[in-house]
Amino acid sequence: MKQIGSPKTSRPPFEKGPSVFPNPFEEFQSFHFQKQEIPLDRMVQSAEAVMDQIRLGYEKLLEEEAKELVWMVQYNTIIKAYEVAEKYVKEIDYSAEDIEDFCFALENTQKIPYLIPGPAGIYISALCNYAKEDEIVLKLSELKTEINLIGFRLPKGKRLMVDGDTGDFTGIGLEGGEMVVEGNAKNWTGAGMRSGKILVKKNIGLHTGEWMMGGEIYVGGRVRGIGNIVEGKVYERDKLVYPGKARYPNLYY
Amino acid sequence: MEKNGYQKQVMEIYQFISDHLYFNRPDLEVKGEWFNSAILLSLLTGLVKGKELIIGEPGLGKTTSAEFVCSLIYQFPLGVIWGSEVSGHPEQTEEKIIGRPDLGKLNQGEEDVVWTNFSQVPVKIVDEINRLPETKQSMILDGVDRGNWEYLNEMIINDEYCLYATANYQDGGTNTIIAPLVDRFDVIVESRYPGANLSFLIAKSKGKEQVLRHPKFEKDLYRILKSKIAYEKKIPKMEEVCNAFGDYVEETVGVKPLKREDRDRIRDEMQALDLDLDASAFSRMLLAELSFCDRYGQKRIVENCEEGCHYTGYLCRQIRNCASNRLPTSIKLFAQGLAWLLGDSQIDIEHVKTVMPFALSHRIQWKDEVLSQKERAKRDDPFQIFLAKEAVKTVSQRYREQSDYLKDALALGSKIFQGEPLEPLEGDHPIYTEIKKDLQRKRSLS
Repeated sequence: MKQIGSPKTSRPPFEKGPSVFPNPFEEFQSFHFQKQEIPLDRMVQSAEAVMDQIRLGYEKLLEEEAKELVWMVQYNTIIKAYEVAEKYVKEIDYSAEDIEDFCFALENTQKIPYLIPGPAGIYISALCNYAKEDEIVLKLSELKTEINLIGFRLPKGKRLMVDGDTGDFTGIGLEGGEMVVEGNAKNWTGAGMRSGKILVKKNIGLHTGEWMMGGEIYVGGRVRGIGNIVEGKVYERDKLVYPGKARYPNLYY
Repeated sequence: MEKNGYQKQVMEIYQFISDHLYFNRPDLEVKGEWFNSAILLSLLTGLVKGKELIIGEPGLGKTTSAEFVCSLIYQFPLGVIWGSEVSGHPEQTEEKIIGRPDLGKLNQGEEDVVWTNFSQVPVKIVDEINRLPETKQSMILDGVDRGNWEYLNEMIINDEYCLYATANYQDGGTNTIIAPLVDRFDVIVESRYPGANLSFLIAKSKGKEQVLRHPKFEKDLYRILKSKIAYEKKIPKMEEVCNAFGDYVEETVGVKPLKREDRDRIRDEMQALDLDLDASAFSRMLLAELSFCDRYGQKRIVENCEEGCHYTGYLCRQIRNCASNRLPTSIKLFAQGLAWLLGDSQIDIEHVKTVMPFALSHRIQWKDEVLSQKERAKRDDPFQIFLAKEAVKTVSQRYREQSDYLKDALALGSKIFQGEPLEPLEGDHPIYTEIKKDLQRKRSLS
């Protein structure tokens, strides 16, 4: 019979050493997640790149023109801000949809730190005036803040349609373009416009058409007050109110 | 994958059983092919040396389906299989299941064991296992788990064996199958009613099992089993007779049963198959849900979920117990078998998803509120299997949503494990916490 457990064993004793616990994830070692790019991804990426550029231009405008986050509406501040906006906008390749996205981003992302209605309006106006498309739609109805100065210097051949309300100085200095506001516009609408057409489907505020030199303003609702108009026409519900009977600036008629 | 005709041979066995011996309706779709789950899983059980619990109403072919599969996979005539079965009843004893003292030798003052056929043949069928009282179920635990059968001071070890147990639904004469025994079954399957028309055909085709009987070979095998030679020496002798029976079956019915070397080669081929990354990540995700507890470290049947737990939406909230370590083994074993049978070169997520409900359903203990919520749901499966299928579907949905991220997290885990100074990925699923726990343990060791 074979003897079991002979004193001289050839089996090596257990060697003590560092723990060699198996890697429980070893099979995934070579896994590299490669996201398959679909056309939509590329579109989203390029849209985001454009939005970054537009956002950067706006931030620079604020840096230069609204250092203290205060911006006074004066003739020269408007002109200067517009020149700065023009400078940045001209360098960006964007579409009308990007302008709409920017308007939405103004209030709905953390990436744009400040919405100052004056410079924002100047910047949006510059974007509209230099856009490739002749017809631009801006959906502002979901913004809590009313943007001022929308449609500044809108040139001939452009049509700007605003879904929602606009703030003060809508369509000022219009240069032959056509502007449609689906909601209400506040004071100084069409001030200093030279030619073109503004249609406000609801009500309009005071000083309407102040120092306007030409063009037409159509109001679907009520005109609260007419400004000192040099030349041009103002219609209220298809009725010509300027030039017309004795009209006093900013008076109810 | 190497094609050597074994898959075709096994599929012919499946087809023969399905067409001639066990009338059924296909109820399981795998990659566009329909199978009957009872036959398919029984075949796989035989091939992978697994353990299967077959449930169903009385008289719906639980035992006979297992007998036919065993006869064709292991080349045993039905007469020998019948003579090796253990039936569950309250008076069952260890002597009838495992072995008894050799009384002749005992009279001469020698101690020797006469092993039962059940303990000696590689195909083991326990009929109506839930009629065994709970105390007696423990007798077969070790044998079922490891193939070790002990009596007096002697032991035989089955190198190759598979086990089928049948169980009726609860009635006056049944007992609960104890949790440790239930956990030892790799899969559970229902032997179902084939429908009125097929059932009617069964009545007309009485005596169909005669094709798998052969009185001479049966006697030869009984003689070998009763002989006093050592168990190890009996095995080649039995194989000789089995091979002769296999040749007879091939000649008479045209189906070639599997020889021992065929089965060994098939198992080698199966073992060479590994899980692909998706199958592995998905299995890990499911296991994490079945074992995770944020509050108490792991699921325990004695502990209840905390109100307001962050992981309320996962399976851990719906179950009472923790997944056992046998669960992943069973899943892999049967997924390997299925992948092999379908001729695939890797175990993919479809194989895993197919076998998972059958490996899970008897191991999960659902909370009462889940049971009462779903008991009236429309279904074709027994309640436990239905719940397991639903659970797998739910986890599969979750996996689809984050498969790449999870694989990324596991890949990163591997890099961190190897010592790279990275941080594990965060994610809203128990598996991410489990990954972090493993990495923490590694850090504490090194």
